[in-house]
Amino acid sequence: MRRHRRSQHGGTALPAALVALVVAASFAAALADLARTEVILARYRQVAAAALAAADACLAAVVAAMPPGWDFDPLLAGPDGVTGTGDDGMLGAPAGCTATARRPPGAATPARVAVTVDANAAGGRRRLDAIIGRTRPPGVPAIVWLGGSPTAGAVRGTLDVDGSDAADPSAAPSAMVAAPSDPLTLDAWLAGEGAHVTTHSTSPPLTAPSPPFSGLLARLTAAGEVTTLPPAGTLPGGLARAHGDLVVDTPLSGAGLLFVDGVLDIRSSFDFTGVVVAVGGVRVQAGGSLTVAGAVWAGTGALTIDGVAWLRASRTAVEGVDGLLPLPRRPVLLGVKDLA
Amino acid sequence: MMNERGIGIVELLVGTLLALLVLGALTAAVAVGARLVVAGGARGEAEDTAQLAVEAFTFDGRRAGYDPSAAGIEAIVQARPDGVTFGADLDGDGVVDATSEEQTAYACSAANQRLSRIIGRQSLPLADGVTACALRFFDTTGTAMAVPAAGLGTADRARIRAVALDLTLVPTALHGATARTVLVALRSGG
Repeated sequence: MRRHRRSQHGGTALPAALVALVVAASFAAALADLARTEVILARYRQVAAAALAAADACLAAVVAAMPPGWDFDPLLAGPDGVTGTGDDGMLGAPAGCTATARRPPGAATPARVAVTVDANAAGGRRRLDAIIGRTRPPGVPAIVWLGGSPTAGAVRGTLDVDGSDAADPSAAPSAMVAAPSDPLTLDAWLAGEGAHVTTHSTSPPLTAPSPPFSGLLARLTAAGEVTTLPPAGTLPGGLARAHGDLVVDTPLSGAGLLFVDGVLDIRSSFDFTGVVVAVGGVRVQAGGSLTVAGAVWAGTGALTIDGVAWLRASRTAVEGVDGLLPLPRRPVLLGVKDLA
Repeated sequence: MMNERGIGIVELLVGTLLALLVLGALTAAVAVGARLVVAGGARGEAEDTAQLAVEAFTFDGRRAGYDPSAAGIEAIVQARPDGVTFGADLDGDGVVDATSEEQTAYACSAANQRLSRIIGRQSLPLADGVTACALRFFDTTGTAMAVPAAGLGTADRARIRAVALDLTLVPTALHGATARTVLVALRSGG
């Protein structure tokens, strides 16, 4: 007879292990879902931040491209310069964003414009409204304001520039030059002139659009011109215009605003307090000297110095001229409101 | 012949003991897992709360001083170490309506451990469990301005060019803190 041994099957180890596995899996799933949610939120925040940075960059580019001036009517007329057409308020903007301008509410002065910027970046989109006005100080914070890139070797004589204002030592120093060139080009030009250019307390060169010569001439013409200016140092001075080129071959002194339609050709000594504007450029011949307390705005042909030039900042002189004839001002951001 | 032997008391006790050990291990595993999930959730919520608070602060700080009608409104109406009030003429009517979003205030309450955003008479808690909350103000040169407890005067407030919010919160059930610092430059003033 065979004996059958019945072995016993069963037990709780396997079910217990399975239950433990299920519990652990559910907790792991919950943690994974939590982590996934946080990653998604972080990605959305990154996209929103990128879009906001793009909108801010677009706004900065739009403001930088606005020309110096007195009001914003030309801007509101659009690219065709005619008010009442379909492109009114359209502004040039970098790729990835659009910008439109309109009149803001309230009085016409102080001059300002409302700009709406729409920017897309990294899958996100931001929209903002900005108010752009004009700076309080007239002109640019530079002693020499050029209408074009400076030419290498333009200074073969001596150019001495002092950016500090003797009447206001606490004021921020002026830049030696402002021109429609990128900062690296201006730095390279300045370095290339070597020992011919000496600067004292000047801030780095500025990038700025060309001076609005035609607008300034129109306002000067409307204000009336005088041909005799008071001597240098007499503030605020007067207003004068030279039709065509002005050749200074005898010692000359003046104060106020001198607007030269052509080239200011200096062969003797020329001492001026205020703003010297030469649409055709300024040329100091060998043996000539130019001394200016205030600012020099030179157009195409820019600045050529074979003689000696001493230029120093004087906010009082420039503001004195501004009191006689409003000078152009740069655009500046006055406020921002995020829309979406 | 069948073996009809039953379960003795010793076997019962050993079996019970083993079952208890297994159940105990399972319970411990479940408890650890649950705590982990709760802590993870609390940490995520704390980070989100802090981030939303600084985003709201940034939003209001950026538009402070918005003045389309050039009425000359104040960008910062009040500046204290534990609070700041921003003003903006959002509708362009030349007036800041203190009962609307045109005037928003941020208040750090050490007693309540809370950062609140206040619009008119409405106070919205932005973050609870706040252990540290302070505001700093910077002038044009980027230098931090000394702020008395009563706040900056009108002339000093006009010099403010940036505002920083330092926020630290420790939610309940957590030991580690969540900290954020944001520096917002005022876009107004020209």
